[in-house]
Amino acid sequence: MEAPHGMGHDQPARSRFVPRNPIADDGDAYHFCSTCAFGSVCLGGGVDKAALRELHCLVEHVDSYRNGDLVFRNGAHFSAIYAVRAGTVKTRLVDIEGRELVLGFHLPGELIGLNAIHPDAYPCDAVALGAVEVCRFSFPALATLAARMPGIQQELFRRLSRDIGNAALLAGDYSADERLAAFLVDLGRRYAERGFRAGSLHLAMSRSDIANYLRLAAETVSRVLRRFQDKRLIEVQGRDVTIAKPAELFEFARPILQR
Amino acid sequence: MKTPGSAQFDRALLAKYDVDGPRYTSYPTAPHFRGDFAEADLRQAIRSSNEEPIPRDVSAYVHLPFCASPCFYCGCARIITRDHTKAAVYLARLHREIEIASTLFDRDRLLAQLHFGGGTPNFLDADQFVELIDTLGRHFAFSRREDREFGAELDPRFCDGDYVRRIAAAGINRISIGVQDFDRSVQRAVNRVQSVEQTRDVMDGARDAGVRSINLDLIYGLPLQTADSFARTLDQVVALRPERVAIYGYAHLPERFPAQRQIDKHELPDAETRLGLLQRAVEMLTSAGYRYIGVDHFALPHDDLARAADAGTLQRNFQGYSTHAACDLIGLGMSAISHVGATFSQNAKDLAGYYAALDQGRLPIARGLRLADDDLLRADLIQQIMCAGMLDVARFESRHGIDFAHYFRDSLERLKPLEADGLVAYSPERIVVGARGQFLLRNIAMCFDAYMGTPDIRYSRAV
Repeated sequence: MEAPHGMGHDQPARSRFVPRNPIADDGDAYHFCSTCAFGSVCLGGGVDKAALRELHCLVEHVDSYRNGDLVFRNGAHFSAIYAVRAGTVKTRLVDIEGRELVLGFHLPGELIGLNAIHPDAYPCDAVALGAVEVCRFSFPALATLAARMPGIQQELFRRLSRDIGNAALLAGDYSADERLAAFLVDLGRRYAERGFRAGSLHLAMSRSDIANYLRLAAETVSRVLRRFQDKRLIEVQGRDVTIAKPAELFEFARPILQR
Repeated sequence: MKTPGSAQFDRALLAKYDVDGPRYTSYPTAPHFRGDFAEADLRQAIRSSNEEPIPRDVSAYVHLPFCASPCFYCGCARIITRDHTKAAVYLARLHREIEIASTLFDRDRLLAQLHFGGGTPNFLDADQFVELIDTLGRHFAFSRREDREFGAELDPRFCDGDYVRRIAAAGINRISIGVQDFDRSVQRAVNRVQSVEQTRDVMDGARDAGVRSINLDLIYGLPLQTADSFARTLDQVVALRPERVAIYGYAHLPERFPAQRQIDKHELPDAETRLGLLQRAVEMLTSAGYRYIGVDHFALPHDDLARAADAGTLQRNFQGYSTHAACDLIGLGMSAISHVGATFSQNAKDLAGYYAALDQGRLPIARGLRLADDDLLRADLIQQIMCAGMLDVARFESRHGIDFAHYFRDSLERLKPLEADGLVAYSPERIVVGARGQFLLRNIAMCFDAYMGTPDIRYSRAV
């Protein structure tokens, strides 16, 4: 009987298949994970080997989380930023009545905890959606290194400003179609940036999380997705979404994404 | 996709492949469910199914276990009684189960498929049946779409045209009638004496009431059946012109189904005669315009089932085949099976266990299974073989992230003798079931079944 498992991405015979749950390939002191937040800084920036090793040493821990686990808690003392290595992390606030406000979703290669720099405390919860792995970077050590490596500092600023931009994105008076199209196009771009197939998204977040994030009702999320599917803009299989017509989907998203 | 007349009946070949095997109304099959799957697991599976981007429609199966009289061939979970007060006692629990289960599904998930099986669903009187449908309608969001499938199995010995009109008015739009055989001596041997007139009365009532599709069930391999007697039955069936006909092979397993001990095994047709019965059925149905859909099932070309076969949208489910896109299935009633997301689960198979759980406000889950990735991809493959008669290898690989030839190297090895016999053709691009393999779909699927050879599980014969 053939073994039902052994679907590792390291087998050449299977390399042409995109793993269903994206996971970064392993790095070492000289070769960073291909999805690493700092990978491009190092690879493109002519960083010498000593600096590279130093950066890799900043990774204090690779931690694994199960669905629903907290990576960090709102109000906890800020000591580290995290790079998602595999899976999806949700950031959120919970108000005094227990109502949740979803702030964002973070994919492999993206950083979380940046917005904790100023108040010196994490301003939100970070929750694992499904199985998650993160790399933990000590912030004091990272700050010291960033002073010597301009590429890292720039990367931090770039990401910080993008987080702020994303938050403002959904504040406007946009239709459900526009919001969902923008959500999918944005996710697709971010997957593509990290080397995953742009048109294939795995939505680890629940539809209520998507609805909460986009300020819509859960039923509306499904209704709009079904409509996109009927128009053949997307194809939905369980939690996997394929963007079949990116240009047409972008037309719906344009008012938000080109603001 | 199957084209009309593409199924070839080869008696020598069928005799060669006449081995025991599952019918694959599910994969893995029910004997592999385990006792460590509990109510909490089902609740979790439903919650998770609610949270998909586009949650699937809901399908409900409702089991009504009572029968007024024992048919000797039957292997269903059933309770023989003439005491009709038992129905009310059962319905109280069933309504409670509907209340609990329905609240677990988000309200925007429509009930697109509903099936009443048994036992004998019409052990309920018409008022009880209508009230049961209304209760379901109050708790689940019934689909209003034209293509919703609301079906009931009926025993025409215990209902009439008016009964069908009542339940059709309440929403039933397809019925399945047990016939098995119209020959009186066969009927006596299996303790089910039922006239053509009784059957026609129920069918007429259904048609008056606008029921879209009527199925008749037949069984070959029953005691005293001969090619000639079965041909007369088939003539009568064809004259009644049901949209669908199902022909099941009788599986004589008296050690598992006590009622079958009433059957004199010396009166059972031998393997050669069994094949002859099936062949006669295939020939007569085909020449009467019925199309072979797959394992046991035939349909007229205008019926939804035949159209779905043409469109490649056929689904395999516990009732055989269905036209609906994959739904999450909730099983209600004693012994009923649920299939939500990547789980199967089954209710308590005895009344005491079923009642006790519900009296404590719990769902009566007795066992089940969480499907592993390997189960899911084999289920997908077997579904393709059973429903489409083919598999596109590249699409399958990208759907599941595997290298097909490598992953299935053992299965493909097992497939080779079947290829040599012309049942099926495998190339790196696709698997295609040939004309000679259409009646041996189960045997082809068995090559891909990772549980084949599990000891102590007895299946019925493939032919």
